[in-house]
Amino acid sequence: MVKIQFYSLLRMLLKQEKLELPPCENENIERLLQRLQQQITIPFIHKLLNEKGEMFPGTIIMINRRNIHHLEKLETRVHDGDVIALFPPGAGG
Amino acid sequence: MSRFSLKGWNGKLLRVDLTAGTCTDEVLNEQWAKEYLGGRGLGTKYFTEEVAADVDPFSADNKLILAAGPLTGTYGAANGRYMVITKSPLTGTIASSNSGGYFPCELRYAGYDMIIFEGKAEHPSYLQIHDDKVQLVGAVHLWGKSTKETEDAILAEFHGDAKVACIGPAGENLVSFAAIINDKHRAAGRTGIGAVMGSKNLKAIAVRGTGGVKIADPAAYREAALDSYGLLKENPVSGQGLPALGTPVLVNVINQLGALPTRNFQKDTFDEAEAISGETLASTYLKRNKGCMGCIIGCGRVTGLAGARFSGDGEGPEYETLFALGSACGVGDLAAITKANYICNEYGMDTITVGATIACAMELAEKGLISEKEIGMPLSFGDADAMVKLVEMAGKREGFGEKLAMGSYRLAENYGVPELSMSVKKLEFPAYDGRGIQGIGLNYATSNRGACHVRGYMISPEVLGLPEKLDPQATEDKAVWTKIFQDFTATVDSSGVCLFTTFAIGAPQFANFLTAATGTEFTEATIMEIGERIYNMERVFNLKAGVEASQDTLPKRLLEEPISDGPLKGEVAKLGEMLPEYYQERGWSAEGIPTNERLQTLGLA
Repeated sequence: MVKIQFYSLLRMLLKQEKLELPPCENENIERLLQRLQQQITIPFIHKLLNEKGEMFPGTIIMINRRNIHHLEKLETRVHDGDVIALFPPGAGG
Repeated sequence: MSRFSLKGWNGKLLRVDLTAGTCTDEVLNEQWAKEYLGGRGLGTKYFTEEVAADVDPFSADNKLILAAGPLTGTYGAANGRYMVITKSPLTGTIASSNSGGYFPCELRYAGYDMIIFEGKAEHPSYLQIHDDKVQLVGAVHLWGKSTKETEDAILAEFHGDAKVACIGPAGENLVSFAAIINDKHRAAGRTGIGAVMGSKNLKAIAVRGTGGVKIADPAAYREAALDSYGLLKENPVSGQGLPALGTPVLVNVINQLGALPTRNFQKDTFDEAEAISGETLASTYLKRNKGCMGCIIGCGRVTGLAGARFSGDGEGPEYETLFALGSACGVGDLAAITKANYICNEYGMDTITVGATIACAMELAEKGLISEKEIGMPLSFGDADAMVKLVEMAGKREGFGEKLAMGSYRLAENYGVPELSMSVKKLEFPAYDGRGIQGIGLNYATSNRGACHVRGYMISPEVLGLPEKLDPQATEDKAVWTKIFQDFTATVDSSGVCLFTTFAIGAPQFANFLTAATGTEFTEATIMEIGERIYNMERVFNLKAGVEASQDTLPKRLLEEPISDGPLKGEVAKLGEMLPEYYQERGWSAEGIPTNERLQTLGLA
């Protein structure tokens, strides 16, 4: 299974902390998000990506605690057992 | 008196001689205002011109400067900030601490840009300002009161609409990390400025101002303000993330990354992070968000506790507090952290240093270097009740609190192990481990007030990806990025605007604001040059004060002990790969000394 964790505004919006999906052959993060959106009736992708489907500045997506910015970004492949953490833009100090 | 011809600034400072009991208006130095703006820059300029670098921080010769910026109290972004400048009793460096709220704006509406306190009052006193009517009055009846009680008493006896900045018992007791609290919950927190105020027998400053801020070009200012409002609202960080979750949203982010310092930096992931996260705070003790005056972000957290163990109302905890009183101490009890935060605000203490000092004490106890008898209670990581108790004891300097009041460096040094203090230049680290995020490590090592994240917030590019994403583990280009962040921050801190606006607006917007407000032209280039001038001025003061370039370093734990757990396991801080390049970028010698040539270029020699 692929474990997806929701943080920040996503958790408040979706009112759930996590969800599991069965793995899908040759799936990347972008397609996983689309599949996830089909499972969840509340629109959420707009909290992470702009209308062009690009990550907002400040959006953080981690796969197994590694930021996909430093992997293949939205093209990063997802495998069985992976843990995906989704953080809409936020900041602190 | 010479004239001050520019708008934006009021052009007037108040000099208060506490020894003589006199208050005198002075015209602000116009040339300095153009070169250093206000706040951190102009306050430090006055300070370094008037105070010898080797001054004892607690002597009457040290001065305490409260300085707003030329944009403080104007609408436009989040313009409710001021700075406090003095020599720090904790670090021996220049101290400049930032706070926001309503007090800074009220000072400007009373007609002042800055207050310089000098000397020492014979008896506890406080300053009343009602527009141009200014007087020092007795504060014996307020001495010993909490910051909340002090503000309430002053509002009752002076003016119900006054804004107040004051110290609590920690400042009176010269706790080396005492803060100045304004508007009851906002702290100019770091470097012990509250203790300097206490050493001068100055309990509070109360201001009622009924004037306004004169703007040179109101139409251009309005345009600049609307532009910035739009950018701040549209930006997902300032428009959505910060209002909803505040700074605590970072607990889960930094923990996932594996750089959340835990158990005095012995670990970098905290098993109980979720329990102390912004998400948990939002679903438990958070009542609403709150902004400083004129702020459209509203990152403040208004909270309340109504449990059997802990009760109370207040603001916070912020992310830094959740680390210092939480993960650093191994404490996963959000109610206990929130309660300890309230105590810090009421006693007037920096939550970061007090938490990090308790974490240091916990490690000393864990290693058997300090006895239960000496502490007065059993102490181990994760003990929430002991943490809350020790926070209060530090504020009172009671029992073991006497040793905690020195800060972590002197505490650890006292037991022969200064390397267990997680600090730079005796100022404790904030909530990001420089082993996992290399640029923030370089910033900590070179920050002019010790290990401070908001001197050059490299977390923005290295973790958040703003304005662009850098690899946190890489060292390439971190020197140039750190310098840019440090210089720009110095300008922001001198303008009266909140640093959080810089997630959405940059040097062009600041240039527009300052030009429209003052009638003097500022460009992106001058914005950055002003910041660099301020940074070098602070550096020169520190060197004269005996804080040598050899202190531009990190604790042995960060340089030599690899991270022990999590996704960044094995990483150390690679400071040696960045520091020489940083000195070069700054135009300093290889030994870290600003060259005459560089200082001349900046107008400092």
